Amino acid sequence: MAAEGKTAGSPMGGVWTGPAAPARSLTRRGGDAGLFRVVVIGLLAVAVLTPVGLIVYQSFLSAPFFSKSAVLSLEAYEYVFTDPSFYEALGTTALIAFGMVAVAVPLGGGLAFLLTRTDIGGKRLLEILVLVPMFISSVVLAFGYTVSVGPAGFMSLFVRDILGFVPWNLYSLPGIIAIAGLSHVPNVYLYLSAAMRNLPSDLEEAARTAGASVWRVSLDVTLPMVLPAIVFAAALNLLLGFEMFGIPLVLGDPNGILVLTTYTYKLTTLFGVPTYQLMAAVAMVLILITLPLVYVQRRLLRHSRRFAALGGKGARTTNLKLGRKGQAIAFAVIGLWLFVSVALPIAGIVLRAFVNAWGEGVDLFAQLTTANFHRLLEVPSLVRGIVNTVLISAVGGALAVGIYLLIGLAGHRNRGVSNTILDYLVLLPRALPGLVIGLAFFWVFLFIPFLTPLRPTLASLFIAYVVVGLSYGLRLLQGTLLQVSPELEESARTTGATIGRTWWDVVIPIVRPGLAGAWALIMIIFLREYATGVYLMSAGTEVIGSLMVSLLQTGAMDMIAALAFISILLTAIGLTLALRLGARIHD
Amino acid sequence: MTELIATNVQKWLGGLQILKGASFTAERGSIVALLGASGSGKTTLLRCIAGLEQPEIGQIRIGDKVALDSERGIALPPEQRNIGLVFQSYALWPHRTVKENVGYGLKLRGVDGPEMGRRIQAILDKMGLGHLADRYPDQLSGGQQRVAICRALVYEPRVLLLDEPLSNLDAKLREEARYWIRKLILDLEICAILVTHDQTEALAAADHILLLKDGRIVQEGAPRDIYSNPRSFYAADFLGANNIARGRVTLVTGDRATVAGHGWELSGTVRGAERLAPEADAQIVIRVERIGVSDAPGPNRLPMQLDDSLFLGDRWEYRIRSGDFAAKAHGSQPIAPGPVWCEFPPESVWVFPAA
Amino acid sequence: MVIHLKHTRRCVLAALLLAGAASPALAQDVPAGYPADYADVIAAARKEGAVSIYTSTDQAQAQPFLDAFTKRFPGIKIEYNDLGTNGAYNRVISEAAAGQVGADVVWSSAMDYQMSLAKEGHAGAYKSPEAKNVPDWASFKDTLYATSVEPIGIIYNTKALPEGKVPKTRADLIKFLQDNKTELKGKIASFDPEKSGSGFLHHTNDVRQTKTFWDLAKAFGAIGGRTYSSSGAMKETVVSGENVLAFNIIGSYGLQWAKESPNLGVAFGTDYTPAFSRLALITAKAPHPNAAKLLLDFMLSQEGQNALAKGGMPSVRTDTDQGFNAKTLNERVGGNLQPIKLDEGLLEYLNPQKRVQFFREWKASLSGS
Repeated sequence: MAAEGKTAGSPMGGVWTGPAAPARSLTRRGGDAGLFRVVVIGLLAVAVLTPVGLIVYQSFLSAPFFSKSAVLSLEAYEYVFTDPSFYEALGTTALIAFGMVAVAVPLGGGLAFLLTRTDIGGKRLLEILVLVPMFISSVVLAFGYTVSVGPAGFMSLFVRDILGFVPWNLYSLPGIIAIAGLSHVPNVYLYLSAAMRNLPSDLEEAARTAGASVWRVSLDVTLPMVLPAIVFAAALNLLLGFEMFGIPLVLGDPNGILVLTTYTYKLTTLFGVPTYQLMAAVAMVLILITLPLVYVQRRLLRHSRRFAALGGKGARTTNLKLGRKGQAIAFAVIGLWLFVSVALPIAGIVLRAFVNAWGEGVDLFAQLTTANFHRLLEVPSLVRGIVNTVLISAVGGALAVGIYLLIGLAGHRNRGVSNTILDYLVLLPRALPGLVIGLAFFWVFLFIPFLTPLRPTLASLFIAYVVVGLSYGLRLLQGTLLQVSPELEESARTTGATIGRTWWDVVIPIVRPGLAGAWALIMIIFLREYATGVYLMSAGTEVIGSLMVSLLQTGAMDMIAALAFISILLTAIGLTLALRLGARIHD
Repeated sequence: MTELIATNVQKWLGGLQILKGASFTAERGSIVALLGASGSGKTTLLRCIAGLEQPEIGQIRIGDKVALDSERGIALPPEQRNIGLVFQSYALWPHRTVKENVGYGLKLRGVDGPEMGRRIQAILDKMGLGHLADRYPDQLSGGQQRVAICRALVYEPRVLLLDEPLSNLDAKLREEARYWIRKLILDLEICAILVTHDQTEALAAADHILLLKDGRIVQEGAPRDIYSNPRSFYAADFLGANNIARGRVTLVTGDRATVAGHGWELSGTVRGAERLAPEADAQIVIRVERIGVSDAPGPNRLPMQLDDSLFLGDRWEYRIRSGDFAAKAHGSQPIAPGPVWCEFPPESVWVFPAA
Repeated sequence: MVIHLKHTRRCVLAALLLAGAASPALAQDVPAGYPADYADVIAAARKEGAVSIYTSTDQAQAQPFLDAFTKRFPGIKIEYNDLGTNGAYNRVISEAAAGQVGADVVWSSAMDYQMSLAKEGHAGAYKSPEAKNVPDWASFKDTLYATSVEPIGIIYNTKALPEGKVPKTRADLIKFLQDNKTELKGKIASFDPEKSGSGFLHHTNDVRQTKTFWDLAKAFGAIGGRTYSSSGAMKETVVSGENVLAFNIIGSYGLQWAKESPNLGVAFGTDYTPAFSRLALITAKAPHPNAAKLLLDFMLSQEGQNALAKGGMPSVRTDTDQGFNAKTLNERVGGNLQPIKLDEGLLEYLNPQKRVQFFREWKASLSGS
């Protein structure tokens, strides 16, 4: 059957033509890789289950687990489930998550269609531009929006001068949904464009020759074929919506709009004493919501393999001709979206970073200054934060690639029980917000004796980052590993190489270029991370993202703006590097 | 009745010219095979007919419709050409059942429910697929190819295009399939274009063969004609099982020429358009089945050395040699190694100028 | 960066001196009026070589003080951890439970939390030689020391609100909110006590000190007042014109900001200007106890107080000349400066019932019921 011809599938997974079911399995000849697998998966289990277990345990205690008065109890759940603010936050969270999906999925799908299925001009540049919001930390984005489209933002004032009023309110629920939705468009786009790209073109051509028009084909073939990818992207974004922290933290604050993550953040102040048990209970609620979503994703991935056997040639796709009018409309739509989700927030940050004051009746030119940066450079912790961010992104990112590669190899062409365990281990941290995982790791490094010396070092942050970035990083590496055609490995095995030798002599040399790209992407992911470090931060482990969250508490906007600017600068450098290294940002 | 007329179809891809002016016609109730090695442009030509590729130059007429006219700027989209295309990969939609796959073209043509069901069932029954109508493509253990053909035929297109439809089948099934596909098309009296790289398939299934090389039709004709009257070395070599030798022309008389190499001399028929001069380099092609091996001398027989006899099941293959000329021949009995007499009928020894 | 170069040179110099003399602290290092054996504290502190601060004060603001300390005691490295009020408090408790005390000095504006730490035994007793130079109200049982006195006040947008119209007293403010319901709708800001420890302290202090806080809260709720978790965020919105006025914010910041921002005015209640203090304590199991003493003493010293005031934190002393001190500040705010007292009254609203009750009332006032 046609399946024989297909070897590598999409590393994104959530598409019809996922990894072709490798009929030839190497597992039966397991041999020397068994021990390696057990060790790697075992270590991973410890790294993931310790913090998660601690959270589960904490949620069933009456006080912080280290407190002498702590006893097993359901008090925390009782409090949470009788607190009206909790339900309010839960409702708001659901509203934002679903609203965000409703905004992001159609937009992302439309973008993916335009960029993969039509002859729209300037594709190369557009393909990079549409991903930009994904690489910027959402705290930075949200902050940028307050300056550009906040009630007194430059854009708002500009529009008000024309219309006489400002037609939007950033600090409202619709405002948050819009911003969250727009900034998650790249996440949807990424999945759907991969699905559309990998859709065998003959399936569409068959419909064309059977007499269906272009639009009919899109509706009757393309849409149902990418539907699983759409559901997958929706599930993923729903999950991201439930765990969103940065945007509601910045934009929900002034009007008291709370979501589950900011609700946990607030619980501490509310009681005046550490209420970790309440935070843990809320985290458990989050897990209960997100785990089914994770499960759905896994199901979809497996389901998609069923269809992988069928497709034919995937490469050649005939593009839809948009025509002059179509091009103009498409450019207008994409341009507007880029303006709103890239230009506005970045302009806001750049502007705020170089002025002391802005808003109504403020002459911005009179305010231009580099003082924010001078001041920033005078504060050692901020400078250290920048250095640490670069360190943990560049060096930590490289180490993380090594770790993910080991984990990826442990799961490579492994169809045993251990692989199912691995799958869930990888997905588990994804069910928890970074803020909570960071807190759990803070406990781990505080209370596990031989780990305590690591706490004030970047190592603690690095370990937490590796766990938080696990599912993204591993997917990246797995995709790269799957590009190696099984025959290449099998020929090494039949020549007499052990599994280990095969990895070392065949697999790793072949994937090496892919590793460089993966490094650059993980670097960007580590660069934008902010929530994980909030609780782990101490003198010596500051990073830009967490510093910004911490500075938000005292409202040092000058410093935040300067840090945000530097963060964007670093992201730009990282992205350039990624593209130079040939990172496959599209799969 | 002529269903398809292609005139001077030229297609570029990047800077490369894939099709260099292909022209041909196809009649109702006949099969035209586009035969060629990979890269010869045969699939591109088929896709141009289907409207999946846009040739820069040329005219294509399907039925009474002009599908393409580069001068008048006409290029009908595939869905308006009323064709059926069977893909090499079959391209069955995994999200639709067999019935839904097949019925799609009817649905697009606004055929109403009961009529549609009747026609789907009729064609599936005809193909022996009636009991599989509600299965999904991945639940079929075979017969995808027949489903794909049903899907392309059910709405009775003017032209049926088949892109290597048999290449995914194993040898035995392939022989069966090419027979019933031919029968089906002749029964239905439709016009079919078959793309293939397999000469046997083309020879057995087609009424008319177009041999393509580097985007050009190098020869066309009925299977028998193209097999026995190749007009170029390429055509001679591409079809059949051949013995090839290179040598020098020693004598030319009319359409007869004598070619000699180290330790051998053969006389044959000059083929191809070009004239041959004495002392020119030449290539000869002899179909394996035209060489006779015997133990006694006779007209047109040359003494040669037999190195080995190989058993092929239904016949024996002899490996024969004379100087630097080595050849294969067939026979029904094993022959012991040693000197033999080999017969080369001059009308079967084709002499071409060396490239 | 010039300062930094100087530092390095000084450090090198100091190191050379130390190496050359190989002696404990020199006698002239002991500040005037300190006990003679203080030289031993200095020597021990130098040996410890580092001091760790958990604080809620942005490092940018504390930098003049940190520089002054490093200049005065080269060789003692300051590990400065800005964790926010909650962060500092929670971490001190967690670390104490884990037996991993990381903080030598906890320096926070959350006076209630600081008092709680002292009451729970997380603070070590230490009688600072500087104690006699600060007012009596500014220290608590040799464990807690006020290092600043910072007025709580109002900032406003001068374009939207001429100086003459700015309310001068509590009663004025309430009336102002009630009388301008439409113009001020959604344009008044204050602290969110649910999210900010400072806000909680400011508001609950008002509840304890005045009779009109709930009237104010109701008036604030009635005009759709907006709440923020930091003074900085409020300043940003007032400068930009998003809000017209913000009350109960940290006025010492306001004084600083008014100097550099256009459109920004700062005002204090002439009838009553509460003021909070950043409190410092030495932890019970401080890993660097001597360096901690040195830091605390320096914080309260004239030199240290001047450095703090330079960073915008008015001095509790009256003999400093940088920025404001307790005396000049009182004059600036209209003569009715009332520092929040360091006593167990601070703990009143840490009581869960009281806390829940306060929040309930606060929410009710805001939602206008």
